[in-house]
Amino acid sequence: MLYIHHSICISPQFTFPEVNLEELVRSTDHKLYAKLIVNPDIPPAMLRRMGKAVKLAVSASGPLLKQYQNLEGIIVGTANGGMEDCIKFLNQIIQYEEGVLTPTNFVQSTPNAIAAQIGFLSKNKGYNITHVHRGLAFENALLDAFMQLDDNPGHTYLVAGIDEISDYNFNIEYLCGYIKKEPVDNVHLYESNTHGSIAGEGVAAFVVNNNQKGAFSCVKALKMLHSTDKDEVEQAFKQFLSENLSDNKTVDLLLSGENGDSRYLDYYRLMEAAVPGAAIGRYKHLSGEYQTSSAFAVWLADYVLRQQQIPELIVKQHSGGNTIRNIVLYTNYQGLQHSFILLSKS
Amino acid sequence: MKVFVTGMGIITSIGDSVESNRKALMEGCCGIGMLKGFSTRYAETLLFGEVKFTNEELRNMAGVNERGVSRTSLLALHAFKQAVSSASLSHEVISDSKTALIVGNTVGGMCLTDELYKDANQRDTGSEYVASYDCGSVGIFLQQKFGMKGIINTINTACSSSANAIMYGTRLIRKGYAKRVIVGGTDSLAKFTINGFNSLHILSSAHCSPFDANRSGLNLGEGAAFLVLESEEVRDNKKVLAEVKGYANTNDAYHPSTLSDTGDGPLLAMTKALEQAGLAPADIDFVNTHGTATENNDEVESRAMISLFNNKVPAFASTKSNVGHTLGASGAVEAVYCILNLLHQEVYPSLNFNAPIAGTGLIPVREYSKAPLDHIMSNSFGFGGNCSSLIFSRV
Repeated sequence: MLYIHHSICISPQFTFPEVNLEELVRSTDHKLYAKLIVNPDIPPAMLRRMGKAVKLAVSASGPLLKQYQNLEGIIVGTANGGMEDCIKFLNQIIQYEEGVLTPTNFVQSTPNAIAAQIGFLSKNKGYNITHVHRGLAFENALLDAFMQLDDNPGHTYLVAGIDEISDYNFNIEYLCGYIKKEPVDNVHLYESNTHGSIAGEGVAAFVVNNNQKGAFSCVKALKMLHSTDKDEVEQAFKQFLSENLSDNKTVDLLLSGENGDSRYLDYYRLMEAAVPGAAIGRYKHLSGEYQTSSAFAVWLADYVLRQQQIPELIVKQHSGGNTIRNIVLYTNYQGLQHSFILLSKS
Repeated sequence: MKVFVTGMGIITSIGDSVESNRKALMEGCCGIGMLKGFSTRYAETLLFGEVKFTNEELRNMAGVNERGVSRTSLLALHAFKQAVSSASLSHEVISDSKTALIVGNTVGGMCLTDELYKDANQRDTGSEYVASYDCGSVGIFLQQKFGMKGIINTINTACSSSANAIMYGTRLIRKGYAKRVIVGGTDSLAKFTINGFNSLHILSSAHCSPFDANRSGLNLGEGAAFLVLESEEVRDNKKVLAEVKGYANTNDAYHPSTLSDTGDGPLLAMTKALEQAGLAPADIDFVNTHGTATENNDEVESRAMISLFNNKVPAFASTKSNVGHTLGASGAVEAVYCILNLLHQEVYPSLNFNAPIAGTGLIPVREYSKAPLDHIMSNSFGFGGNCSSLIFSRV
């Protein structure tokens, strides 16, 4: 059991410093950029060298690190880390024909620079790791935290999921067919019935331990699967629910990773059908699509469990229930990487 | 629960099998030389531990017909196949939902520097590699190829990536998330990393000389290595090669690309690994050091060892003098070498050493010899202060 004691999310929507999910921020040119609010504690000289992913991460974790000074470790999930710095360095290599290059972009480009910066700023010499397994990078970070807490009960960890939009990864994802070809904004994302989605970015950081006291929610269970077989994913989802929710408990809300890509609609329909009576929520029009967007979904689920209210902005289908106890997340990255995460009211 | 190594596979600049790597280590062979595989300004001025096969040869050796497979993935496939075959894992077992795969990787498809440059800067037509640039692409390639259904993960903690992959896999078994794991790492030489390390002025134009007073930097290398780890229960009557006894991951929290003079991260990693293994410093018979031959690393690592072992530093060496620094693969490559040390009760010489670093006086093993070895420590320290230590034990 992994109890969430505090979380901060910097996203394209109004999620930081205050949360306001009444109003939807619109996408432009298939992109939803996170509203970066920089942590004032970071020295400007250091800030200048940071790429957006690192800035997002240190800005979200800053207030958490201040409040929780005895963290045992830092566990990060990011598919690409500082992609902008990475390609900037690559462009320098080609444009200057491998001449004299400055190392800043190179050092900032390695995905582990994010966890390293968080560790450095908090002088944290404990466990420090970066999971980069594309659409399951954040899920593996969560699983890592589960295992750490099992070995070290009483310890507290920072877990975060981060990715950034750079012009370059946007181009690559466009070429991969992950981005819609026709103009579509996030308001009409689910009506498009075409391939691809819109790009997003953001960070969600969580302070977790196995102490129930003071926590509003907990991550109860987690399952990951690589599959292109709808039936197999559906069966795994049903098994996940039956293993982790006893008979008298039901799913109150399914937070679905539906992203407007018509190729994967069948998966979401099957998962929706597996939780009859549950409210259905969607969030990709808030966060955009990116590999670690499930971190945004976990933040949103924690928020809903705290508020005991589902923001109208995310509702696909209402349910009759009043209390929200159990939320299940289904995420599907490009039809291959699937995850189920169960969060419950603490 | 005990976690055993039951199989391993490797490809480096000194050989494409466990046996050929062992032979080269015994004979003190070095795979480092001028770069032949691709053009870079530094092909003839710096030295590299290049795997002696072209991509085409690697494709043929591993029977790869699909398009869009990077050299990083080809090297991984080669080592993966050896590892599962040496542990006698059937296709059924590999694809079992309790068989996990954890890959340490830093370069991904960025070895395709020119293709990536083109794909990242336009939106007309993509190359065959568009979905193969990220670090996750390697694990996903192997997952697809073998229909793997267990937990799949990729870890990037720079030069300690595959040490952390071994650690994560061991913990998956101990916590019941997997019964067996295939863990390791892979990285291929790339213009990207060559220019990156060069911009930090830590690449050597001479053969690297770990722990030498006049060391002049590291040689980048490439390669891949995988281990099969199995829980005590599922190994059946299989031959056990070694036990994964201890592990720890810490952070130096000092500088993005330099270790602290006091070596807090390295010392803490080694100390915690010993604690976790339930061993005392005096139980360690040999250390496979990180030993990159940079000014910074070797001095800091030496001091940390002197402190940990209370001036009685056991025999140690750096196999980076044979194969160069294989980055994300190095933790796994060196794990294979540690297991060879244990299996054959022998130590391999560290090359190119002449004089000890002033103030430390440490001298690595310089001759091949037989030696009684029960416990070996393997260090991997990376950029971002990511320090990891593993302990392998004789069974």
